[in-house]
Amino acid sequence: MSNTMNHSPKASKSMSDIAKQLLDLAKKAGAMHADALSVIDTGESVDIRHGTLESIERENSRGVGLRAFVETNKGLAFASASTSDVSEAGLKKLAEQVLTMAKISEPDPDAMPPEGAEHPSAFELDAWQKKYPHQNHGWNTEQAKNAALSCEAAALAYSDKISNSEGASASFGETSIAYAASDGFIASYERASSSLSISVISGEGESMQRDYAYTQARQAKQLSPASEIGQEAAERALRLLGASGLHSRNTTVIFEPRIASSILSHLVSAINGRSVLQKRSFLNNAVNEKIFPDFIHISDEPDHAKGMGNRLFDGEGTRCQARNIIEAGKLTGFLTDRYAAKRLGTTPTGHARRGLTGDTGIGTSNLILQPGTEDLDAILHDISNGILITELMGFGINGVTGDYSRGASGFLIENGKLSRPVQAFTIAGNLKDMFANISHIGNDLTWFGAIAVPSIAIGNMTIAGESPINRV
Amino acid sequence: MSISILPIAPETLTQMLNAMIPADADDADLYLQHSISESLSLEEGRVKHVSASTAQGIGARVIKGEVSGHAYTDCFETAALMDAAKAARSIANHGQHRQPLAIQPLKQSYQLYATENPMQRMDMMQRKSLLEHIDSLARSMDSRVQQVFASVSASFSQIHIIRMDGAHLSDSRPLIRLNVSVVVEENGKRETGGAGGGGRFDLTRLIDTNEAESLTREAVRIAILNLDAKAAPAGTMPVVLGSGWPGILLHEAIGHGLEGDFNRKGTSVFSGKLGQRVAAKGVTVIDDGTIPDRRGSLHFDDEGTISQRNILIEDGILTAYMQDKQNARLMGLAPTGNGRRESYADVVQPRMTNTFMLAGQDKPDDILASLDEGIYAVNFGGGQVDITSGKFVFTTSEAYYVKHGKIQYPVKGVTLTGMGHEVLQKVSMIGNDLALDPGVGTCGKGGQSVPVGVGLPTIRVDELTIGGTKA
Repeated sequence: MSNTMNHSPKASKSMSDIAKQLLDLAKKAGAMHADALSVIDTGESVDIRHGTLESIERENSRGVGLRAFVETNKGLAFASASTSDVSEAGLKKLAEQVLTMAKISEPDPDAMPPEGAEHPSAFELDAWQKKYPHQNHGWNTEQAKNAALSCEAAALAYSDKISNSEGASASFGETSIAYAASDGFIASYERASSSLSISVISGEGESMQRDYAYTQARQAKQLSPASEIGQEAAERALRLLGASGLHSRNTTVIFEPRIASSILSHLVSAINGRSVLQKRSFLNNAVNEKIFPDFIHISDEPDHAKGMGNRLFDGEGTRCQARNIIEAGKLTGFLTDRYAAKRLGTTPTGHARRGLTGDTGIGTSNLILQPGTEDLDAILHDISNGILITELMGFGINGVTGDYSRGASGFLIENGKLSRPVQAFTIAGNLKDMFANISHIGNDLTWFGAIAVPSIAIGNMTIAGESPINRV
Repeated sequence: MSISILPIAPETLTQMLNAMIPADADDADLYLQHSISESLSLEEGRVKHVSASTAQGIGARVIKGEVSGHAYTDCFETAALMDAAKAARSIANHGQHRQPLAIQPLKQSYQLYATENPMQRMDMMQRKSLLEHIDSLARSMDSRVQQVFASVSASFSQIHIIRMDGAHLSDSRPLIRLNVSVVVEENGKRETGGAGGGGRFDLTRLIDTNEAESLTREAVRIAILNLDAKAAPAGTMPVVLGSGWPGILLHEAIGHGLEGDFNRKGTSVFSGKLGQRVAAKGVTVIDDGTIPDRRGSLHFDDEGTISQRNILIEDGILTAYMQDKQNARLMGLAPTGNGRRESYADVVQPRMTNTFMLAGQDKPDDILASLDEGIYAVNFGGGQVDITSGKFVFTTSEAYYVKHGKIQYPVKGVTLTGMGHEVLQKVSMIGNDLALDPGVGTCGKGGQSVPVGVGLPTIRVDELTIGGTKA
């Protein structure tokens, strides 16, 4: 157990006890229904640079969040609040505050209290615990520091053109979470995490280039080797050296896996049931429509050996299930919490996401785009001319229309081969067209925490570079 | 309640300082914070999201040369506090302790903003009514308005800094924000528009100044305008940037690159360029944390350095970096009041406050008329920069295609890109109409978000890459 728990007067009290106590306090203050979250985070981050320690940061935080519903003649109204003060007085104050706020909040006839959720059974909770027993991250400060040092050393030794380092960082920590709802559902779990990252610079002066690499896992022993991460960052920074502009054109772009994950994120935002209800999605009427080519299959898998997003239940206690989001190019449905499902007339998909305060959001567990059979060389050969995108910048995405315009860097593809590094250009299109114009999917499935994606090639993107497009 | 009253007994804090400061420390401090925030939001005609949070905690920090130790806890029990003190010291576990110092309040005077809870004069019912008013206002302005989203949020953060010399500084920082966005629909085509504003002042100002109505009008105007927007060109063109929020150009293109940490480490494209020309003649860029009521203003930064007005670029020549204490010391320069942290749980970094370009002589109309063919960009969403190569982007939310000095039609949201060390050298006209943004900026760096401001007069940039789709 963490230090916090030993020092706090709450030490004897588990996270579940605190969550349950909050529910009692909410009931006493007049709540009809309520649910509560209680979270402890402890951890450490060690930064090194040029072979010496740069900083140690230690984190020790707690928080509780409460959502309470009150009944009115127009339906249920609710509010939520959080505090880091978990003293008796702090919890009581929180409960009273939430009830006062719930009475100000406007009732919604479709509001969904925790009652009636498809919770996992005690048996399932137990089986899950056995399948994913809590294991320590497995690092101490010294071990983390050593990992960071070897990571940076590998990067700096990779080439004498690696001219500078922004340093390497190794982090580890534990999170304990308890969720309790007024219908009697209660569950708690602990999660370890560890990560190692580095950023290095190649070149000098105005020709400097920077790139990074990282690895993350529940346990430090599952991380990629430190030297591999260092070499990857060095290789990436090095290959960008000498990057220059390019002329505007319409062409095929390949998103390498690191970048391709953003395409899946845009899809998830667009099929978020709440956004759909609010008419804020360009896929508002796309259920059962073919929005990708036949060879695209995208699934959400809450119980996956390699994913960091595994979960048995979602932010409202609804049991999570594996789901095919895109089947042979077709959108199977929207992602919902219980509220969005009720309004859309569908079954909740178990995608509620909750923070300590604020309304529930919607998010996936482990999102996977099934890989294809071709390797990158084969795709390059096949498309012959285009651009391999290795970095995207900015936020030029309109969720309502799907219009897309972002800054990019990468490599020009000429005659089926990477010819030179290019930068300071934009790629633009519309996400609907981009989804439909996917021409190739690589076999290089790569995991980034809770998302796994291979390289994606998309035809007919507009590249804006050094000249107006029609005057090349 | 006096704001200088510490939430933890001074004896306990002294005990922490004594345990955590090695004799050869360059710097050390404790940062105590208690903050409350409240947010109400309206969607589909209902104010059904009401939320609040309370956070309190203490951050302990020790600095020795290039090395720093940080620890934080939100548990105020003595044992947890002493653990944090020891963890902060873990970078220098050997050697002597520094002699004990008494905690002494530092005499301060506050002028930039009222150090009061900005929520106390406008209760939640009044805030709810304001949002409902915005909803009906937006719908009455145009029948094409289908959805209205409005939110009002406010926070009040009380902080105490105990410096290594025992000096105790305290500040109370109000911050409010009102946002309105709408979705409009015509002939099956949907578009969106938004507007926001705020600063370090009382919520009642939203009512007193008609801010709600003007933001609503602006959100509806932009959404309707975007219904008719056409594809923007793709390629390199001259661009005229409007006054105010387009100052995000400065924030991204040069601001981050002038932060002290990157320059000490030599990782910025501006490293080693003090005294050199980095912008056209006539371009003067300032970072000023002392503008009353502004989002980016602070009485003193999060290390206790009094905020100041720093000239970063003077008539095109790079004159200063923005510094926190550690980076300033290591570079042999003075701190500039730019040491900021998101909260007690975060480390201090050199950050911007309110960053803007001084006005020039040109009339805005003349600047627009000078565009033979190009883009006139009036408003923007967010931006991003790679400070090492200088690449930056920012994305328009209101922009027009211009031919022969005349606006032709609005263009869809589009990303503009360029190189930070080149773009200000391409500024050829500077308007006489400097304006600051309406108070919407939030800057992200190293995982931390802090409120900032930007400002710009109308300027002409002879060349930027326009990320449109039109051939």
